[in-house]
Order: sequence, then structure tokens, then C-alpha cells
Amino acid sequence: METTGIHTFKRIYVWEGPVRAFHWINAFSLLALAVTGVIIANPPAIMSGAEATNRYWFGITRFVHFAAAYIFTLGMVYRLCWAFLGNKYANWRVFFPYTKKGLHNLGHVIKHDILLMNPKNSDFREIAVGHNALAAMAYSGLFILMAIQIFTGFGLYADNATWWLPKLFAWVVPMLGGDAAARLVHHIVMWLIVIFSVIHIYLVLYHDWLEGRGEVSSMFGGYKFIRKERVKKD
Amino acid sequence: MAERIVVDPITRIEGHLRIEAEIKDGKIVDAYSSSTMVRGIEEIVKGRDPRDVWAFVQRTCGVCTTVHALTSVRAVEDALGIVIPPNAELVRNIMEGALYMHDHVVHFYHLHALDWVDVVSVLSADPAETAKIAQSISHWPKSSVGYFSDVQKRIKKFVDSGQLGIFANGYWGHPQMKLPPAVNLLAVAHYLEALEWQKEIVKVHTIFGGKNPHPNYLVGGMACAINTDDPGGINAERLAYVGHLLEEGKRFVEQVYIPDLLAIASFYKDWGAIGQGFGNYMAYGDFPTNGYHDKAGFKFPSGVILNRDISEIHPIDHRDSTEIVEYVNKSWYDYAGGNDTGLHPWDGETKINYSGPQPPYEHLDVDQKYSFIKTPRWKGKPMEVGPLARVLVGYASGREEFKEAVDGALAYLDVPVTALFSTLGRTAARGLETKIVAGWTMEFYNQLLTNIKNGDSRMANAEKLAPSTWPKECKGVGYMEAPRGGLAHWVKIKEGKVANYQQVVPSTWNASPRDPSGQMSAYEACLIDTPVADPELPLEIIRTIHSFDPCLACAVH
Amino acid sequence: MIETTEKRQTYYESIIANGFSRRDFMKFTAFMAAYLGLESSAIGQIDKALKTTPRLPIIWEHFQECTCCSESFIRTDHPIVADILLDKVSLDYTMTLMAASGHQAEAAKKATMENFKGEYILAVEGSVPMGADGNLCCIAGRSAIDQLRESAAGAKAIIAWGSCASNGCVQSARPNPTEATPIHKIIKDKPIIRVPGCPPIGEVMAGVIVHVIAFGKLPELDSQGRPKAFYAKRVHDSCYRRPYYDAGLFVESFDDENAKKGYCLYKVGCRGPMTYNACGTIKWNNGVSYPIQSGHGCIGCSEDNFWDNGPFYERLTNVPGFGIEETADKVGAIATGVVGAGVVAHAVAANIQKRKELKKRVEAGKDVEKNVERNI
Ligand code: HEM
Ligand code: HEM
Ligand code: NFV
Ligand code: SF4
Ligand code: SF4
Ligand code: F3S
Ligand SMILES: [Mg+2]
Repeated sequence: METTGIHTFKRIYVWEGPVRAFHWINAFSLLALAVTGVIIANPPAIMSGAEATNRYWFGITRFVHFAAAYIFTLGMVYRLCWAFLGNKYANWRVFFPYTKKGLHNLGHVIKHDILLMNPKNSDFREIAVGHNALAAMAYSGLFILMAIQIFTGFGLYADNATWWLPKLFAWVVPMLGGDAAARLVHHIVMWLIVIFSVIHIYLVLYHDWLEGRGEVSSMFGGYKFIRKERVKKD
Repeated sequence: MAERIVVDPITRIEGHLRIEAEIKDGKIVDAYSSSTMVRGIEEIVKGRDPRDVWAFVQRTCGVCTTVHALTSVRAVEDALGIVIPPNAELVRNIMEGALYMHDHVVHFYHLHALDWVDVVSVLSADPAETAKIAQSISHWPKSSVGYFSDVQKRIKKFVDSGQLGIFANGYWGHPQMKLPPAVNLLAVAHYLEALEWQKEIVKVHTIFGGKNPHPNYLVGGMACAINTDDPGGINAERLAYVGHLLEEGKRFVEQVYIPDLLAIASFYKDWGAIGQGFGNYMAYGDFPTNGYHDKAGFKFPSGVILNRDISEIHPIDHRDSTEIVEYVNKSWYDYAGGNDTGLHPWDGETKINYSGPQPPYEHLDVDQKYSFIKTPRWKGKPMEVGPLARVLVGYASGREEFKEAVDGALAYLDVPVTALFSTLGRTAARGLETKIVAGWTMEFYNQLLTNIKNGDSRMANAEKLAPSTWPKECKGVGYMEAPRGGLAHWVKIKEGKVANYQQVVPSTWNASPRDPSGQMSAYEACLIDTPVADPELPLEIIRTIHSFDPCLACAVH
Repeated sequence: MIETTEKRQTYYESIIANGFSRRDFMKFTAFMAAYLGLESSAIGQIDKALKTTPRLPIIWEHFQECTCCSESFIRTDHPIVADILLDKVSLDYTMTLMAASGHQAEAAKKATMENFKGEYILAVEGSVPMGADGNLCCIAGRSAIDQLRESAAGAKAIIAWGSCASNGCVQSARPNPTEATPIHKIIKDKPIIRVPGCPPIGEVMAGVIVHVIAFGKLPELDSQGRPKAFYAKRVHDSCYRRPYYDAGLFVESFDDENAKKGYCLYKVGCRGPMTYNACGTIKWNNGVSYPIQSGHGCIGCSEDNFWDNGPFYERLTNVPGFGIEETADKVGAIATGVVGAGVVAHAVAANIQKRKELKKRVEAGKDVEKNVERNI
């Protein structure tokens, strides 16, 4: 149904303010957590005569990690609420695209965008307005990974904490078989999140490049562009 | 008809040892030694990082703690071609020396003495007499009448309480108990003193290895860095602490252990003819002074004595696949290539397969397999290892310090050289070597101070610690003289992981079951002909068995 | 066992010959008989006395172990072990120290189980092998499981000494050839105090016992059954090298300049941040040192499963299932690299594959471009 000629695009508000705010809070706190996490895991070598008294950089690194962890966790909670309050693109249902339509879209995305096949008659209606089905599934996967980080992270933190909140997670560590196992899980999941991010950023750019409808900027301004034909006539 | 008696558990040892003995006309005519517990450590270290293995195998035993760690780092260093700095060697020697003092003293007082000393007889001793004896045999200051009388009161109160605790059901009043009450009181007082002292000498391990039992070792050297100008390293205070502990240790050995040993032995000279065994003795040698690969520099010489012939010493080669092999014909394991051949430890296997009787059982089926201990042989012969073997090899090698110690003791007790090949000889040799080792340990300590003074503060060689620097495949052997005898580990390393690991342990040599040609190992052989006054109360059996200082966790691993 | 009175008559003679008084002998035989579980009126009386003013009776079982827990226990400085044994407890059965062997030893244990039913403490050193029908550890011809069940049945509480009894320790490390099992997985109906460590600190062991005697109750335990008094904090949280950790000053390899200065051992594998134990506070052997103070990292010896958390000289455990030398970072970096390369490849492929589609879209806008009103 692809037709040539001039199309009329409609500016449409997809990502509401709270979603955008979440997205960037999430992205930046994750960046901070991953960077500080890698440093915690593998501190750089410093061969120097300096005395410990005048230094605290590793302590600060850990502080940043824990501070970012709180922001990150609040962001997650906030986004969870918004899944019930926000518009249809933000609603919790979109993360479960296991409907007929959803699976059809999944097939399309895999064929068209991942395997780069070119369907004979590509239907512009296949281009999702909010998340496409595959992206939605990836995000739900990511939410699970982030939840694991929160549970293992606060579990590890529980015994240092003076506040009741982290202590709620104290059971996680023994369940995993001790601190060593919990740290290993926490560490491995970091890599999974890094891998997600690489793919995610690439695919966002890919869609922006191919579809030319403001994918990247949508996470800043909230608007995407869809063809006028897709707007219901009634 | 012979009567079969069972002693299980044998207590005051490490681990799970069961002796079954046939008694006829008041004498043992046949004996079987079995260990009834297994853990499979050789299987567990397979596939591990060779740098970690010392920690695993160290847990073979917490009594001779450190010896498996040391043997393991030697084996891995041998395989990887790592040469450790002289200071590390000295620290390892000092730790080993401290272990000898600790292990032998604890064995004498807490594991062996109650075979010879009657605790209950203490109640009827005259403290004044005890004080007189104590002062006549030693300069040890705690020897007043008041002191011994306090000890006696304490024991009395204890017995009066009605709860005899660890002394319950002991062999008190047994006809074989020969010490006069005054000597019993002396021994019991020193039992308690030794219990208090032993926690001090181990602090040498704590300083260099961070804890005891199970101090830390390191492939490539030791982890305790030297820094004389920083609180973070081994400095003057730490070294002074070690020096103090070693001096105190040496004093205790010289002024308490040795005099007690000789005093008690003089009442039991008949035991110089009991517990003789087959007369083959083997020592691997230890306490290097010029690196692990220079055998000539070892303080304990190595070699084999056959048939009590101390005029000839045969050399040992741990790498020769025809010399040391292990059999499982009577042990609860299976060899892939059949159970009647022996395997050199580099090619050794540890596949557990219990085929003994279903518990609860009365007797083991000794015609079948009957122990978790494998049976090692040197050129097909059974060997006795341990303090007696070391002292004999040292004596036969003509080393002055051994000659002096042995001849002195024989003269004191007025017994012939042949009395050495016995239960009494084994127990005496342990004391004599403790004194010798205590002296060496001071030498090592002074050498360490000299090295540091001369500016050498190296403690570890970390050059080949990274797996990327290792050959694709290599193998090594580590050996030493553990308190209970020659100990060796064989390791094969492949692609950075342990491909095979075998331990042949002193108690493996001594406590093992029979080999395919029916030859007994040391425990069994030494029990033959032992008189047993009352089969219900197997005091004589545990005397001879304890003279080896059994360690079954070691033997089986 | 001692059915024949004549036999005792012989001891009597020999005892008198050895200089005992008759009174001493009577006392001794009575106690001995009591310990052997004999019945007679006189013994009944003594039995009562035993029960009225007892030191805390302890049965100490040894299963799959290396005896270093017993060894650690005798190293305790406060109180010293002689005082514990003579004044505080009655250690009625322990293979390491007791005078009696064989039947005499088992009889002493039996007597305590009968006379102090519900009152004695069962201390267990070692794990129990559940493999091969439990035949891999037998004492007196009976399996460890059997012995444990029996001595646990009448115990007031159980102390699981060391990592062996409380988490299986070295013999339960992969592949656990004997199915070594810690005590709490076998005995479910008794309070169990887990005192992990390989071995636990002597003063901690004594402290647990002293707690029971001095306060008349079991110490408060954490969610994992460990006494809070000794296991509430990580080694790292009380480590004197902690300032170096916070300052980011680390030992890079053994015996380097930083090691000589006593910097933090985190990068050479210290498990202090993952290990609950009192090493940093109580230290070892009466406070002389502890592993870290002597330059070696903590290997986590009081943690469940610590043997399989190696290699000890690497910061992180090998990733299970990734055989050779794979730490999480290597796997992670390689996976990220592969994904990155995949992304680049995809981008290249997309430029080829989607050229037409993209062109179509670009074409579709061409006339618009032409008709743009202004260039600015
Ligand atoms: C999802 C994002 C997160 C990432 C990518 C991340 C990453 C990491 C990494 C790589 C480490 C080092 C682990 C090791 O090698 O031992 C670490 C440690 C840690 N993280 Fe996170 N983390 C995240 C979230 C959290 C959260 C939400 C918390 C909650 C408080 C947390 C708490 C901790 C703690 C307590 C440590 C141990 C640090 C120490 O005690 O020194 N992390 N993190
Ligand atoms: C660490 C990096 C990032 C992470 C973890 C991340 C994560 C996420 C998540 C969780 C969502 C779903 C949001 C929701 O529904 O609430 C999302 C959507 C999105 N992100 Fe990111 N993001 C990252 C970086 C970026 C970057 C750098 C951009 C582009 C500049 C970007 C653009 C977008 C866009 C456009 C969407 C909407 C996707 C769609 O339409 O399906 N993201 N991202
Ligand atoms: N046998 C033995 Fe050991 C010793 N000494 C070790 O090699 O006791 Ni546990
Ligand atoms: S916990 Fe460790 S120290 Fe204690 S018996 Fe087990 S292996 Fe030995
Ligand atoms: S040495 Fe170990 S326990 Fe101490 S601060 Fe460093 S990481 Fe923590
Ligand atoms: S190895 Fe064990 S002894 Fe302490 S410092 Fe670590 S818990
Ligand atoms: Mg072996």
C-alpha cells in the first residue's frame, strides 16, 4: 500500500512528559550505575605513596553508585505507576503484546527490521505508533533485569543500611547462596543491560534513519509523526 | 581359638580409625587397620585453579594443619617452575618448625599420655614428692609443692563432681599403668600446662599466615610482605613476637616435654620390645636451606632403611613411576585398569566404591576390601614413615645432632639401640626430633633477621602467578616431612587447571590395609605379638597405635 | 560389658597396689559404672547427684571433618580450654580428647544420652555423607547418619561447628563425591546454632558455649542460624584496611609496593566484602592477627559454598558453565563486542537491503524539497 507522492503527516503526542522524564532519568542513572559498578568491580591501579587519609575516591564512587541506585529505583516505581495512569502508549498492556495483532506485528518486525527482508507490499500500517511488539518485549525483559539489580543491589546494601527500606531486601542474598553469588548475579546482569543498551540505541537510530518520522526526537519532545491515512476518519 | 576384638572408635587421634585384632593366648596374632570415612578431596580439586589448591588440600587435616598447603604449593611451584625468594623459604620453615613443636607436644600430652598416665591415681599422690621429682629432672620454674598441690585439688574437685568428662571410662587402674602417683601428678599438671602453652606457639602461624588452624600460603612465596618501616608489613614488632614465641616454645620442649618423656619412658622400658613391625623406614627429607631442589641442603636427610639395617641408606625418586605406587586391592576404590595393579600417583585415580558390610556391622570382611585408605608401596615394600624413620635416617646418615640426641637418650634410659624399633622408640624419637627442630627453627629465624638486615625484603615471586604465563601442560611433585612422616602430592596441570591430583600421606603409608602380596602396613605389622592383658580394655593396642600419632583424615583425604 | 565382677576385683588390686586409697577407688568405680550404664542402688544415688549439680554435658560428634574445629577450640584464650573442660562443661564424648576408646567411648556417650536426656548439648564437627547409603562415614560400625539421629534425639540444642557441619565445607565442593551434607539439612526438629568458619575462631567457639552457660540460653541467631554476636558484620565492615579501600588504594599483586604498605587486598581476591565473620574484630589466636593483616585476602571461609566461589585470587567467581578461566567480565566484554559487531554488520546490511525502501521514502519527499518556499 506504499504509495508515492506527497503524504500528509500528523504530529502525534506519544510519549508524555512522565515517560520522557523516566526515560532519561533511567538512562542516565543506569549509565552512572554501570560506570561506577564497573569501577567497583575493577578499580584502576594506582601505585602511589599517597596516604589514605587524603583520599576517598573509591568511597565516592560507591556513594555515587548507591545514590544513583536510589534515583534509579524511584524512577522505576514512578514508571510503574504511570503504567496505570498514562496514555495508551505508556499503559502496562503494551508490554504484553501477546495478542493476535501483537504477534503479527512481532513477525513483521523480525522479518522487516531484524532480518532485513523486504516484503513485496510493505504496509505502512505495520509501523507501530508506540513501541513495536519486539521492542515492547525487550523492554519488559529489561524491566525484569532492572528489578534483579534492585533486588540484588539492595540485598547487598541491606547490611550497611541504617534505613528500613534496603533491609526489606535482606533475604535476597541468602536465597542466592551468599554475597559472592549475589555480586556475581548483579555483575552479570549489568552486562546484560549494557548489551540491551547497545542494541536499543542502535535500533532507535535505525528506525529514525529508515522511517524518518522523528523517532529519536520523540523521546525528547514526545511527538512522532504518522501518516494522515492512519488517523481514524470518524 | 583366636578371639576377634574390635576397637572403634580409636580416640585421641585425628579421624575414624578402626582396629580389628585376633588375640590368642594373650597376644595379638593378626590385626586389621581400617579407616571408615572418606571425603574425596583428590576428586574435588580436579579442574580447579592450581593457585587455589593449597587451600583445599590444607583442609585435609586441621591437626597437621599447613603441611598439605606447603606440599601443594611446592608441587605447583615445581610444575610451573617457580622459584621462591629465600625469605619465603625461611618463613615456611619457621612455620613448619612451630608446627612440629605444637603437634608433637599436643600428641605427647593430650593424645598419647593418657595411655601411660593414670589420672585418677593423681588423687593419692604426694605433691611434695612430685615437686622433688620435677625439680630433679628440670629447671622448669613451676615446680613448687604448692603448685602441684593446687593441681591435685583441682583434679580432686573435678573427680568429686561425678562428671569425669573426657576422662570418663578411661583405663584407670589398668594393670599396665605403671607410673607412681607422684609421676602421674607431674604428668597431669603438665597436661594442663601444655594445653595452655600450645595455643601460644601457633601464634607464629597467625603472624605469618593470619590464623591457625589453617594459615594462608601462597604459590610463589608467602603473602606476608616485609616492611620494616610501616605498620602494614612484617616489621620489628612482628618479628620480635615470633622470636619470643619460638624461644618460649623451645624452652617448653626442653624443660617440660623432654624431661617428662624420659621420666615416663623409664617406667615403660618393656615397651622398647613391643610394637616393632617390619623394620623398613623411609624419610623424604625436609627443611631446605638452599631451595626445594637442593636435597643436599635439607636439614632432615632423605632415604630408605631396609630391614633395620642402618648401615645402608637407599635413595628415593618421587618422579620414578616404578618406585612409589598405590594399590586399592583392599581399599574401597576402583581402578579403571583393574584393582591388582599399582598406580604411580601422577596417574593415580580416586573412584570411591564402598563394598564393605552394611552398617550396623560387627566386623569388617577383611578378606575383601576393608578400608578407605589406599596402600602405598616403595619398590614393592611397605614402609614406616614418621619421627622414628626420620631420626633413624638422620642417625644412619651420620648427622651429628641426631647421633647426639639418640645416643644421649639411649644412655639415659639404659636401653640398647634395638629398643628404638618399637612403640617406645617411636614415642621417644618424636620428642628427640622436636628438640632438634626447635633448634633449627631458631636458626631459620636468625637467618631471616639477617636477610632483612642485609636489605632483602622479598617475600613472593609473582612473576608466574598469572595463568597466561603457564605452559599448556606440566606436572610437578611436592614433598615434605610432615609431623607424622613423609608427605607428597603429585599434580598435573593442563590449560591452567588441575588435571590430576594425588596425595600420598604419612598415615596412608602407616595405616593402610594389605597389598596384593599380603604384606601388612605398619599399624598392622606393629600390633603383631603385642600382649593384651584384658581384651575388653584394649589399652595395649591403643598404645602402639597412638605411638604413630594416627591421622585418618590425612590418610584417606 | 563389664559383667564380671572378678575382673574389677583385679583392677582394684592393682589400683591399691598403685597407692590408691580404698575410698578413691570406690568413688572411681562407681562413676565408671555409672558411665557404663550399670544399674544398682548405689549407682542410682550417684546418678541423682550427677543430675543435680552438673556441668553442662556435651556430646561432640565427629563426622566428615579435618578436626581443625577441635584444634581451634583448644586454642581459645578466654576462657582457656582447660577451664572450660574442668569447670564449665562436661565434655563426655569427643574423639579428639577423650581417654576411652572403642566400647568404653561409646558407653560414655550412651550414659550421657540416657542420664541427661533433653539436657545435653550436641556439638557436631563435620558433615554427614548421604551418598552410598550413608556408608562413607561409619563409627563403631554404625553410619554417621544413624549416630547423628540418635544423639540429636535427646539433645537440648545442637551446635554445628565450622563450615563442615554448617555448610558442608570442602567435601561438599563440586562435585561433592560423597554427598556431604550439613547438619541442618538432616535434623529439622532441634534448635541448631551454626558456627561457620574453616575453622571458626577459637574464642568464638568458646564464646558460644560461654553464652549458653553464663546467660542460661542460646545466643540470638540471625536468619541463617548464626549467633549475631559473631556473624552480624562482614569482615570488610570491620577491616582495618578499609580506609585504603575507600581511598581506592589497592594491592595489585603480592609483595608489590602496595602490599608492603598494607593496602587493601580487594583486587587480589579478598572476599572480606562478601563474608560474615568476626575476624576483623576478634581476630585470631587471641587477637594476634587475621588473614588480611598477614597480607592474604579473606577466602570467605565462613560463607556457604565458599569453595566454589573461586578462584581465590580473582575478584570474581568463574562464571559457572563457562569452563575455562571465564570471569563475568570476560564473558560480558566478549558478548558486548559480539553484539557491537552484530550491530555494525546489521547497519551495513541495512544500508544495502533497505536502499530501495529508503530511496522510495526519500523520493517521496523530493517534490516537497523542490517546492520549499525559502531556503532559510
Ligand atoms: C541496574 C543498574 C545497576 C548496575 C548496572 C549495577 C552494577 C554494579 C556492578 C557492576 C557492581 C560491582 C559488582 C561486583 O563486581 O562485585 C555493583 C555493586 C554494587 N551495587 Fe550495583 N548496579 C546497579 C544497581 C544497583 C542498585 C539498584 C543497587 C541498590 C542499592 C546497587 C547496589 C550495589 C551494591 C551494594 C554493590 C556492592 C558495592 C560494594 O559494596 O562495594 N546496585 N553494581
Ligand atoms: C542506557 C541507555 C538507554 C536505555 C536503558 C533506554 C531504555 C528505554 C526504555 C526502557 C524505553 C521504554 C520506555 C517506556 O516505554 O517507558 C525506551 C524507549 C525509547 N528510547 Fe531508550 N533507552 C536508552 C537510551 C536511549 C537513547 C540514547 C535514545 C535516543 C536518543 C533512546 C530513545 C528511545 C526512544 C525513541 C524510545 C521509544 C521507543 C519506541 O518508540 O518504541 N533511548 N528506552
Ligand atoms: N598423616 C598425616 Fe598429617 C601429618 N603429619 C599429613 O600429611 O596429620 Ni593430619
Ligand atoms: S570446617 Fe574447615 S576447619 Fe572445620 S573441620 Fe571442616 S574443613 Fe576442618
Ligand atoms: S582487605 Fe578485604 S576486607 Fe579489608 S578493606 Fe580490603 S576488601 Fe575489605
Ligand atoms: S577466610 Fe575466614 S578466617 Fe576470616 S578473614 Fe576470611 S572469614
Ligand atoms: Mg591419595
